[in-house]
Amino acid sequence: MADKATPVLQLTGVNKSFGAVKVLHDVDFAVYPGQVTALVGDNGAGKSTLIKCIAGIHPVDSGQFFFEGRPVAIGGPREAAALGIEVVYQDLALADNLDIVQNMFLGRERTRGVVLDEASMEESARQTLSRLSVRTVKSVRQMVASLSGGQRQTVAIAKAVLWESKVVILDEPTAALGVAQTRQVLDLVRRLADTGHAVVLISHNMNDVFQVADRITALYLGRVAAHVERAAVTSTQVVELITAGRSGDLGLAPTTAENTL
Amino acid sequence: MKDVSERPPVDDPPGGRAAGGRWPWPAPGLAGAGAAGVRHAGLVAALLLLVLVGVITKPDNFATTGNLVSILALAATIGVITVGMTFVIIGGGIDLSVGAIMALASVWATTVATQSYGPVVMALCAILVGAGAGLVNGLLISYGRMVPFIATLAMLVAARGLAQRMSDRRTQLVRPENDAIMALSTTKVLGLPLLVYIFAAVVAAGWVLLNRTTFGRRTFAVGGNPEAARLAGIDVRRHTLLLYTLSGLCCGIAAIIIMARTTTGSSTHGDLYELDAIAAVIIGGTLLTGGRGTIIGSILGLLIFTVITNLFILNGLDTSDQLIAKGVIIVIAVLLQRRGLRTPT
Repeated sequence: MADKATPVLQLTGVNKSFGAVKVLHDVDFAVYPGQVTALVGDNGAGKSTLIKCIAGIHPVDSGQFFFEGRPVAIGGPREAAALGIEVVYQDLALADNLDIVQNMFLGRERTRGVVLDEASMEESARQTLSRLSVRTVKSVRQMVASLSGGQRQTVAIAKAVLWESKVVILDEPTAALGVAQTRQVLDLVRRLADTGHAVVLISHNMNDVFQVADRITALYLGRVAAHVERAAVTSTQVVELITAGRSGDLGLAPTTAENTL
Repeated sequence: MKDVSERPPVDDPPGGRAAGGRWPWPAPGLAGAGAAGVRHAGLVAALLLLVLVGVITKPDNFATTGNLVSILALAATIGVITVGMTFVIIGGGIDLSVGAIMALASVWATTVATQSYGPVVMALCAILVGAGAGLVNGLLISYGRMVPFIATLAMLVAARGLAQRMSDRRTQLVRPENDAIMALSTTKVLGLPLLVYIFAAVVAAGWVLLNRTTFGRRTFAVGGNPEAARLAGIDVRRHTLLLYTLSGLCCGIAAIIIMARTTTGSSTHGDLYELDAIAAVIIGGTLLTGGRGTIIGSILGLLIFTVITNLFILNGLDTSDQLIAKGVIIVIAVLLQRRGLRTPT
């Protein structure tokens, strides 16, 4: 694989167990600026655990993290955010009882003196949404409870982009959406990469993956089955990597695949 | 508080849990501020109606300065507590111990030892005892992972017991040399006793804190969706701890007011105040499940309650009927709010 850029974020040899259950085995993972890296795998393959390790929610047992080439330790969600890593969780982690601006700035509110600087936050929220060419949201002061699934996803993504983030991780962003809304969100994912973000897309949907991803990393029972360029593989091969850990020459050696079962 | 990070490491089924699924289409626009405005208008209308009843039934007694001042002075004590209670309930909790904490603070501030240091130390003592008891509540709930109902119920019983023990079940008088405390009740500025201004200041400070600061914003987030708050980097436990400490602090201030009004500290002060405070908050439109509410609504709710009490007393009606009326009002308020809730979602 010829890589023009150095990865923004690189993980090597990551291991993670929950009690006796080993969830991640020597996982290597890299994401590149301006590219969408799809992270695929069956339920229980370790996708969510891997991103939670990246987000600082789970500490890893062993393994190294490099951010823009420097070794880093991520001790918590705030440290991940400080590096420029933002995660959009599957359940979106939005507070329904707050409006769009309030959600986008939750935990990092801007203040003037001791009081909240609502005008500046509202302005930034509006700018971020327009930068992402989001036109489906009527008012940034709408309650999140009143938004559609696609709009909620849009707000969650915009929240992640607001912070000069370099790496944006999206956990199943289209899982609950209809066709049109899925289209909108995938367009947004592409625009994120085109504006220089390194995007990680977790998905079960091969259509989504093949529409927007540049590279694909397949996890199989906690191991990386393969890192491939999207253009170099077919959907069938990726499905085989997901379900069997190997496909032809690609993937785990047969013995390794057997052993993990 | 459920903690998703402790879940077993199994990926979620695709689409199964995604919260967006509940709103497949954009709902008709609702403005949060507008909804609160409508609720407040309803409360003001109810309050005006009660005032009208007062003016009609007791024209000579109700609309007098003296009576209005006594309504406000009566409202001040529970009012200060209600401000703290509003924060706790919006933050997704409940505080049953407010009346007992106030009693304990009033007793502690009127012991012979405390009184020997003068009125300023008495006031500080009341505030510190209140905040300290609130801190204990907060520690039990946030770090001890106790259910708020249980932890504050335990505090209710224990604080009242401690107040009884400290005072030997006797009513402790504020000594004459400390009459600066009583001055809060007797000194009047523009016709209103100082303690009414204290009440107003606490309400104003509470309003600013809730609506204009990071702390207030996060209180809504913690009560509305603690998991989202946690993922946004908010220290939910610390925030919860602060909420109960704030409630305790308000109880301490209320203790100063009740000492000023009654010139005593007693373990019987504030009996069942928790119920009045919670009822006022609920009538004011704050969701008992957290995440929504206003200070103004709570205060309006409390004024409605206080005016009812006043009307019953002026008209020489039975206090039992007064309790029945209050119960009915709580039920009506909650029913009306549920209707209001259904329209937006």
